[in-house]
Amino acid sequence: MSAWSFYIGTLLIYFAVDALSAISLNLQFGYAGVVNFGYIVFQAAGAYAAAVVVLGKSAGPGSFQQYVFGAHLPFPLDLVVATLAGALLSLAVGLFSLRRMRRDYQAAMLLIVSLIALQVVSADVPLFNGANGLTGVGWPLGQIFGLSAPASPWVYAAWAVGITIVVYVGVVWLSRSPWGRSLRAMRDHEDAASAMGLNITALRLQVFVIGGAIAGLSGGLLVEYIGAWSPGAWGYAETFVVFTAIFVGGVGNYKGVLLGTLLVPIIFLELPRFLPSIGYPGLTDSLQWVAIGLAWMLCLLFRPRGIIPERRARARRLAATVLEPSPIKEGA
Amino acid sequence: MSGQLIASIADGVVLAAILAVAAMGFTLQFSLTNVLNLSFGSVMTVGAFVAYLIAVVHLTPWLGIALGGVAGAVTTVVLGRGVLRLYARRRTQLFEMMMVTLGLSLIIDYTVQAISHNNIYGYSVLQGSALEMGPIRVTPVQVGIVILALVVLLATWGALKFTRMGKALRATAVEPGLARACGIPTGRVVLVTWVASGFLCGLAGVVFVISTQSVDYTTGEGFLPLVIAAAILGGVGNLWGAVGASLVMGIVTEVVAGLGQGGYSTVAGFAILVVVLLLRPGAVFGGSEDRQLVL
Amino acid sequence: MGPEASAATPPFPMPAGSAPILEVSEVAVGYGGVRAVDGVSLGISPGEVLGVIGPNGAGKSSLLGAIGGQVRASRGRVQLGDRDVTRMMPHQRARLGLMRTFQTTSEFSRMTVFENLVTSAEGNSGASLAAVVLHPHRTAVREREVAERAWSVLERFEMTHTADLYGRELSGGQRRLVEIMRCLMREPRVLLLDEPMVGVAPHLTGKLIDDLRGVAREGLGILIVEHALEVVHRLCDRVVVMAFGKVIAAGAFEEVVKDPQVQSAYLS
Repeated sequence: MSAWSFYIGTLLIYFAVDALSAISLNLQFGYAGVVNFGYIVFQAAGAYAAAVVVLGKSAGPGSFQQYVFGAHLPFPLDLVVATLAGALLSLAVGLFSLRRMRRDYQAAMLLIVSLIALQVVSADVPLFNGANGLTGVGWPLGQIFGLSAPASPWVYAAWAVGITIVVYVGVVWLSRSPWGRSLRAMRDHEDAASAMGLNITALRLQVFVIGGAIAGLSGGLLVEYIGAWSPGAWGYAETFVVFTAIFVGGVGNYKGVLLGTLLVPIIFLELPRFLPSIGYPGLTDSLQWVAIGLAWMLCLLFRPRGIIPERRARARRLAATVLEPSPIKEGA
Repeated sequence: MSGQLIASIADGVVLAAILAVAAMGFTLQFSLTNVLNLSFGSVMTVGAFVAYLIAVVHLTPWLGIALGGVAGAVTTVVLGRGVLRLYARRRTQLFEMMMVTLGLSLIIDYTVQAISHNNIYGYSVLQGSALEMGPIRVTPVQVGIVILALVVLLATWGALKFTRMGKALRATAVEPGLARACGIPTGRVVLVTWVASGFLCGLAGVVFVISTQSVDYTTGEGFLPLVIAAAILGGVGNLWGAVGASLVMGIVTEVVAGLGQGGYSTVAGFAILVVVLLLRPGAVFGGSEDRQLVL
Repeated sequence: MGPEASAATPPFPMPAGSAPILEVSEVAVGYGGVRAVDGVSLGISPGEVLGVIGPNGAGKSSLLGAIGGQVRASRGRVQLGDRDVTRMMPHQRARLGLMRTFQTTSEFSRMTVFENLVTSAEGNSGASLAAVVLHPHRTAVREREVAERAWSVLERFEMTHTADLYGRELSGGQRRLVEIMRCLMREPRVLLLDEPMVGVAPHLTGKLIDDLRGVAREGLGILIVEHALEVVHRLCDRVVVMAFGKVIAAGAFEEVVKDPQVQSAYLS
């Protein structure tokens, strides 16, 4: 297998994982207006959860890595556990951070959760091996067929893209459903939505937990491919790459969000690898982050509607199968 | 055991002193402008690095402390006057303004990372030999930090209470429209607030790294949760509240760390905020969204 | 309920003879140390339009908030029909038929007018994730009913041409209408209107007044906070005057405006 083939396959896997993140955040932010600045924590939760149920029993302190629990769960339990980890952590965090309070406090709380979680996991070595992180995570599904993830990136890519397509279809369906409409009402005017009979707290928590489940799943997929997971992989800034992708592609439009994922985390963050390296090793990475920050600021300044903006749901389409044709024609 | 506890409490007071300096700056800034400034931690990092550079060129650490504060003030004024105003002119809402400060935080953090080669630098200044009083073991610099915090508290309190500018600031924080109508130069008030809070922010950054004896690009970001928690817990705009909350957070944090749970010390501080929130949401989050952006 | 309850002090806001659909007794709202609403009692019978007037800062909007659930009442009771709703969340009150509009219009700005209406409908299955996921067929049936209802409401207010416009693309008056139409998507029992005429073009106020009278005739109670006194005069059966958080007068419009206490409150 050529290096190129390996590289493209890997990029495809990253795209699938990032697309899952973008879909999840778009559901939360683009549809429901919930600003989840701690998104990456829920992905990390899924990754750690998948890692410890794949790695097997921890050898305990003194060995080269230690962690809690530890088991050899067969497929698909590894990904189920990852998804549940994301969902349950979201539920716990959502219960205290999504209360009725100023939206900026809410967002700041989630950012704080992200910062603190990183400190805790880095410092608490018995939990997930601290700052060194976990390594040697395998791919339970591949093992059934005698495959390993790094050896067959295209197989893994097909698998990850397949999952992403399923999630995409499901989330798009939910977003277009009456429930998705309620989310948009809540996003546009919270007080009015609740005065129209919508239970804001429940809607917010639901969207937070669904998003968290997807985040957990994406973490599980990622860790089973790269085989390792450490605090370096989920700094608070990672969340904003996904946000920037959504802004660029088009908030509230899933096709736009996929395009944004292709442009920002994949092309923008990967292309510089082919440029001649400048300065000391690591400088490019730092500068890329600065650029992400700048892109984020520009998005806020010019408030672009994105490359593919949110689409208007016309009454004609909404009611096409619903009403006799006459009044619709007259009104449209 | 009790000796251990007393020692932890003493450490907590030192941490509280650092926290208080930052929280006072944060609460001052937040109560006036209503911008929840998430780049506060990054500005702390900038102040800390400036002090480190002063030490590198072998100048007196006192100059480092002063210039760290100045660097914080300058950075904050540039951000507040330059960047945030630009956004305010485009009718950016309060909430989006917080997102803007987050972008600033990303940019500053990673610029510092680029410049500092992503290294952790040791910063050991003013450390004298420790004084022992029973279980308590303090270094002269720790005593100095507490004294500094007290001085800052008294100076800030006095300035707010007795000077014209302080009174104007308090008036503007409560009713910006009315203050403007009464002829208070709110633009100047905001500028002075950026300078003062920025200075406290940079100062806190320096004091923090003097205490931890190391500095890297995540220095301020790691401290930010405690600062925000203390400012909110103390009641936004409430100077004594911020100091009281800092004291509570500092002590709880160090006691938990003293129990051998260093990783969870910040969690413990944050948990207090969450518990207060859950029990009495109104007490802490009294304000509603109809607060105005003042820039 | 019953005559005993309606005799709560001060007794004058109660209409004689009919059971009230909305009953507010001794409600107080405080922000910090300020008493925005200080022991207000009033009642509305089905088919009645009650106007609440008073100078700025009299506590009218806070009173509406306490009835609608957006603001917590520190004291007193709000009763809708025979249900005590004082401790309920806004959405629970809405589901019982207590609908409101807001002082600054609250249209869903990035949703079409049609969607605005459908979202607020009784039986909007979007209110429940479980219903949408577990009963797709039932959801589709509900959607059909709701869409039909939305269309008929649009026709009634001659707004069908706006069905596909976003909330933010509407004129001020149209936004007010959308809010009112949204409320009518759920057979409300009580309608709370916070300054519904602000931003409505003068030549349209007459029509809106007629529309609201027509709505009231269907048997629901309307409580309206309004500054324009000629609107109040033409629209309301009774008027309550508030000043400094208290009710200072109540009765027919003509009598109330002659009250010296009311005149001084407006002049001060």
